[in-house]
Amino acid sequence: MSSNSAQDWMNQWQALAQRYWDGWKSQGVVPPAGFGRADANAPWQAALDQWAQLFGKSQQQSDLVDRVTANAKSYVALMQSMLNSSLGQGGDAGAAAWTEALRNGFNIPGMDPALWNNPLGANFRDMAGQGAKGFEQLMAEFGRAGGPFKQEILSTLGMPAFGLAREHQERWQALGAALVDYQEQTNRYNALILKSSQQGFERFQSKLAEREEPGRQLESVRAVYDLWIDAAEEAYAEIALSDEFRKVYGAMVNAQMRVRSLIQGEIEQQTRQLGMPTRSELQGVQKSVQELRRTFRNNQDNGGSELAGEIAALRAEVAALKRQLAAADTQPAKAAPEKPAADKSAAAAPAKKTKR
Amino acid sequence: MGPIRIEPQKALDEALKLQQKLSAGAQTLRSLDPVTFGVTAKEAVYKDDKVTLYRFRGERAPTQKTPLLICYALVNTPYMVDLQDDRSLVKNLLAQGQDVYLIDWGYPDGSDKYLTLDDYINGYLRRCVDFLRKSHGVEAINLLGICQGGAFSLCFSAIYPEKVKNLVTMVTPVDFHTPDNMLSHWVRELDVDLFVDTLGNIPADLMNYCYLTLKPLRLNQQKYVGLVDILDNKTELENFLRMEKWIFDSPDQAGEAFRQFIKDFYQGNKLLKGGLQIGEKKVDLKNISSPVLNIFAEQDHLVPPAASRALKDAVGSPDYSQIAFKGGHIGIYVSSRAQREVPPAIHDWLAKRS
Repeated sequence: MSSNSAQDWMNQWQALAQRYWDGWKSQGVVPPAGFGRADANAPWQAALDQWAQLFGKSQQQSDLVDRVTANAKSYVALMQSMLNSSLGQGGDAGAAAWTEALRNGFNIPGMDPALWNNPLGANFRDMAGQGAKGFEQLMAEFGRAGGPFKQEILSTLGMPAFGLAREHQERWQALGAALVDYQEQTNRYNALILKSSQQGFERFQSKLAEREEPGRQLESVRAVYDLWIDAAEEAYAEIALSDEFRKVYGAMVNAQMRVRSLIQGEIEQQTRQLGMPTRSELQGVQKSVQELRRTFRNNQDNGGSELAGEIAALRAEVAALKRQLAAADTQPAKAAPEKPAADKSAAAAPAKKTKR
Repeated sequence: MGPIRIEPQKALDEALKLQQKLSAGAQTLRSLDPVTFGVTAKEAVYKDDKVTLYRFRGERAPTQKTPLLICYALVNTPYMVDLQDDRSLVKNLLAQGQDVYLIDWGYPDGSDKYLTLDDYINGYLRRCVDFLRKSHGVEAINLLGICQGGAFSLCFSAIYPEKVKNLVTMVTPVDFHTPDNMLSHWVRELDVDLFVDTLGNIPADLMNYCYLTLKPLRLNQQKYVGLVDILDNKTELENFLRMEKWIFDSPDQAGEAFRQFIKDFYQGNKLLKGGLQIGEKKVDLKNISSPVLNIFAEQDHLVPPAASRALKDAVGSPDYSQIAFKGGHIGIYVSSRAQREVPPAIHDWLAKRS
C-alpha cells in the first residue's frame, strides 16, 4: 500500500468511524471518553453495553438481548481488529497476519485473562443463561451451598485421622480429594477447549491461504467471520469426537458428581442430627409413591376390565332383584281387595320369583 | 495477493449497517408482545398423571378413519410440531385429512423421579394408544414417533405389533453408535448411576447446554450475530423469539427413565444390537410387522442420518420406506421446504395403507 493510499484509508476510516458514533449518539448511547476524536483504536463494542441497557431487565427479551450483546461485541471487536489490521497492512497482508488480527480481535479488553486466545472457552462461558446451564455453572451454584465446607475440607487433606472425630475427618478427606480430582479433571477439559481454539485458528489460517488465489479473496468482515466459524467448528468437532475428549469429558462429569454426592452425604449427616427430613428419606417416599402409582395402574389394567364386568353383572342382578321385589310389593296390594278369589295365584308368583 | 481485500468504504458500511440494525432493534424488540407456540385448536381427551393426550381440530373434519398419534421426545416440549401458523406439521397433516393426536408428557418434578421407561412405554404410551383404539373402534392406530419418541414408538411397535397399523418415525436414532454421533460419544464414559443418583431428575438447563455445545459457535454465536440482520423485521424477530422460547422451555428428565435410556440406548446400543427390555417386555425390532416409513434429516447434528438409516435392516416389516429430507433436526418441522414436502409425504404414504 502506498503512503497516499494509506493516508486516504485513514481519512476515510476516521470519517466513517465518526458516522458510526454519530449514529449511536442519536440513540442516546454516549460514546466513552476519547470517542469524540473517532479514534480507530477506541473500543467500538463498548456501545453495545449501553445498547443492552436500553431494555432494562424486566422484559421477555432481556435474555435474548444479553446473548445478542455478548456475541455482537465479539463480532464488533473482531471487525475493529480486522479493520485496524487492514489499515496497517492493506490488502498485502498474508494469511498469518490476518489470523493474528483475528486472534487479537477476540481478546476484548476487560475479559477474563484466562480466556485470552480462547474464543471457544469464552463462548462456553457466555452460553449459560436463561434455559441453559453447563457443568461449570452447575458446580458454581452447588458450590454456594457446599462452600462453607470447602476451606475446612481442604485444610484436612493429608492430616492423619484419629480420635473421636476420625470417621468424620476421613469423610472430609475423601471429599477434599474429590474436590482436588474435580479441579484436575476440569483443567484437563479446559485444556482441550483451549487446544480446540488454537486448532481453530490454524485451520482458519489454512482456509485463508486458499483464498490467496486470484478471484477468491474475502471482501467483507462477515465473510471472514463466517470462515472462522467454519474453521473453529471443524476443529472442535474433531476434538470432541476424539477418544481423548470422550475420556476427559466423562472423567470431568464423573468427578463433579462424586463431589456433589459426598457433599450431599455431609449435608444428610447434619440434617439427620438436627432431626430434619433428609434427601434419602424423601427419595424413599417418592419411590414408594411411584410404586403405588404403578401398582394401581397395573391393577386397573390387568384386573380392571374383569372386575368392571363382574361389578356390572352384579349391578344388573341387583337391579333385577329390586324390580322383582317392587313387583312383589305391589301385586299383593293390588290383589288385596280380591283376596278371597285371587289369593293363591297372586301370592305364589312373586314368592317363587324372589326365591330364585 | 492477500486473502482478504476489504475496501474501507465497504467495511465501514458494514459497521454502520450493524449499528443501524441494532438501533432499529431497540425499537422492534420493545414493541413485541410475548410470543407463544402451539397454534392449532386442540382439546385434552385423556389425562394420566402429568401426561395429556390432545386431539387437534382442523378446519375440516378428518377424512382418515384411523387416528394418527404423534409421540414426541421427552427432552423438549412437543410444540415444535405446531410452532406457528405457517410452520406446523400438525396443521398440514390436518389439512391433508388426518385425525391428529399428540402426547404431551408434561413437566416431571421430584415426585416423578422414579418414572421408568416401562412407565412411559408400557404405561402412558400404551394407555394412550388403547384409549384411541377404543374411542375410534379400531384394532390398531397409526403412530408417528419423533426423535426419542421415535425410539419409544419402535419399542412400542415391537412389543405390541397388533396395536400399530402403520409406523412413521422421524429423525429417530436406531444405531446409537455411529461414529459421528457426538452425544453418544460423550456419554459413553459417563457413570450414569452416579450421575442420576446425584442429580435426581436431570435439569433441562443442563440438557440444553449440552445440545448447544454440539455446535457451540454456530448455535451460540453465529446465530446471534446473524440475528442482528433481522432486528428491524418484526415478523422475523417474532419467529426467532418463538423458536428461542421453544429451545429453552424444556422439561427436566425423570431420573430413572434417563438412566435406562443412556445405559441401554446410548451406551449399550441395545435397540439395534438386541437385549433391550422395557419392564418385563423384550424389544426385538424384527417383531415390527406394520409398514414403516422412516424420515430422517440429512444435516441432522443430533441424530446423524446413519443412526436412522440403520432401521432399514433392523425392522421386521417387509414394507419399509425411507425419506432423506434436505435439512436439519429442527428444519424438518419448521422450514418452508418441510411444510411443502413432509406432511404430504406422510399422508400419501398412510393413505396407500389405510
